[in-house]
Amino acid sequence: MTGFRSEQEFRHVMDLTFGLMSEDPEIGPKLRDADTPQRFEFTDMDLVVNIRAGGPDEPNLTWEWSDEIDWEPKVKMAMTSETANRYFQGKENVAIAIARRRIKAGGDVKAALAIIPITKPLFAHYRKMIATDYPHLEV
Amino acid sequence: MTITLEEASRRVGVSPTTLRRWVRRGLVPQYQDSWTPAAVGHARVVARMRERGHSLADIRRATEEGRLAFGFLDQLFPLALPRYTVEQASLQAGLEPGLARKIITGLGIGPEQAKMLSEDDVQLLRYVAAVVESGFPVAALLALARVYGQAMAQVADAEVRLFHLYVHEPLMRSGSAGIETAEQMHALSRDVLPLAAPVLDQVHQRYLQHFVEQDVVGHMESDLDGSAVDLGRMRVAIAFADLAGYTRLTEEQGELTAVDAVERFIEGVEITLPDGARINKTIGDEVMIVSSDPASLTDWAVGFQRLQSERPLPRIGIHHGAALYRDGDYYGRDVNIASRVAARSAGGEVLVTRSVVEQAGSHLEFERIAEVKLKGFSDSTEIFIARQRPQQ
Repeated sequence: MTGFRSEQEFRHVMDLTFGLMSEDPEIGPKLRDADTPQRFEFTDMDLVVNIRAGGPDEPNLTWEWSDEIDWEPKVKMAMTSETANRYFQGKENVAIAIARRRIKAGGDVKAALAIIPITKPLFAHYRKMIATDYPHLEV
Repeated sequence: MTITLEEASRRVGVSPTTLRRWVRRGLVPQYQDSWTPAAVGHARVVARMRERGHSLADIRRATEEGRLAFGFLDQLFPLALPRYTVEQASLQAGLEPGLARKIITGLGIGPEQAKMLSEDDVQLLRYVAAVVESGFPVAALLALARVYGQAMAQVADAEVRLFHLYVHEPLMRSGSAGIETAEQMHALSRDVLPLAAPVLDQVHQRYLQHFVEQDVVGHMESDLDGSAVDLGRMRVAIAFADLAGYTRLTEEQGELTAVDAVERFIEGVEITLPDGARINKTIGDEVMIVSSDPASLTDWAVGFQRLQSERPLPRIGIHHGAALYRDGDYYGRDVNIASRVAARSAGGEVLVTRSVVEQAGSHLEFERIAEVKLKGFSDSTEIFIARQRPQQ
């Protein structure tokens, strides 16, 4: 079974992934404009990350691995690390994952729907990254 | 490039005297002491307007306002010579004239245009002749010609309408002079139009690959479950989805708000559909979706409804059956059932028939809510509401 070897590895890969999104010239500015704070809970890892658009002097995205934040998430998603890994490889359809309870969505889910097409170009970057550095995560 | 008065007269289809009169009255601003392709192109638009009964004063006003700024089209689509009749073209292409005429009609080329086929049209008929020569069934070829004709007409219609809405109208409203509008439109069209064909080609290739894969999977699955269907029919899951209360929304909040809601809805469907499903067509606020996999389509519908948080909410109906496939569309009793089931659903609901329930995953639950005679059907249909199974 493909999966992250440890919580540290998962967190490291997610940090790299959010960094890719933030720095990508196509994705980053669009996510900044969308300005949709999101809270992701990774149930099997007992981890929470809150992501929001960056301020004027910040990168396009900023994130905290905690709920100790001074902003309110607009969209809340809960999933396992395996589902997150599949999603970032473009192998997880969000609507189907919600129906099958692999993703639990709350808050302004309409806003989550609007973000899906923005993040699609990320999948190729993520697949390239894990093919090079984390081949055990390929699905 | 200069064109003689006689040649301009022939291309526009009016006498040289009439052309001179139009120039004197300022109807052809592109004419500057000589006939150019742009001037001839504009004169052709004037001729079409005259045929439709518009006065010279009206045409001059429209020209000045930039409404007839399409004279450049003659440069983008130059009049190709020589011209051929269908008989002459089919002889050149090595195709039986009767079949050539049917193909041309199928493609949507009208009888008048068919009298003036170009060298490119002859080449098109050569391709057709090669396809016939390869043994491809003529009936299928004629059906394909109709699909190509309809699809391309829709593409071209959309291109022109969107160009009008987003380019021509704003230019006219900006107060630009007619000739200036024409020049700007010419420059943009010259840069953009050549890109359409390669984009269409690439999109076509992608869809072709997708549907070839779907076809192979479909064959394998029908072989495995022994559920062969009649020739010309395909076993598919069909969903109809639309926005509940759309008419009321239009009345209460206006057409633009309602159209925005429809665009967001259709975009939402497009970005969330699973790989095996696709939008077959849209009619106003209604979307028809076909899929080879009823289970994933039902999952999608339930998940899609969970992603909605504001009105108007979608309503979705799904049925699985054998649809008659013809000319790129699906027909028949099972398609009608799907449509009728959708019409019975309320905003936020997913209604399905028993054929869907039997193939759905165990993570969903189905409540049988009715056994009804759907409009136009003599026998009754069981209808179920699909939803997520409550968590244990």
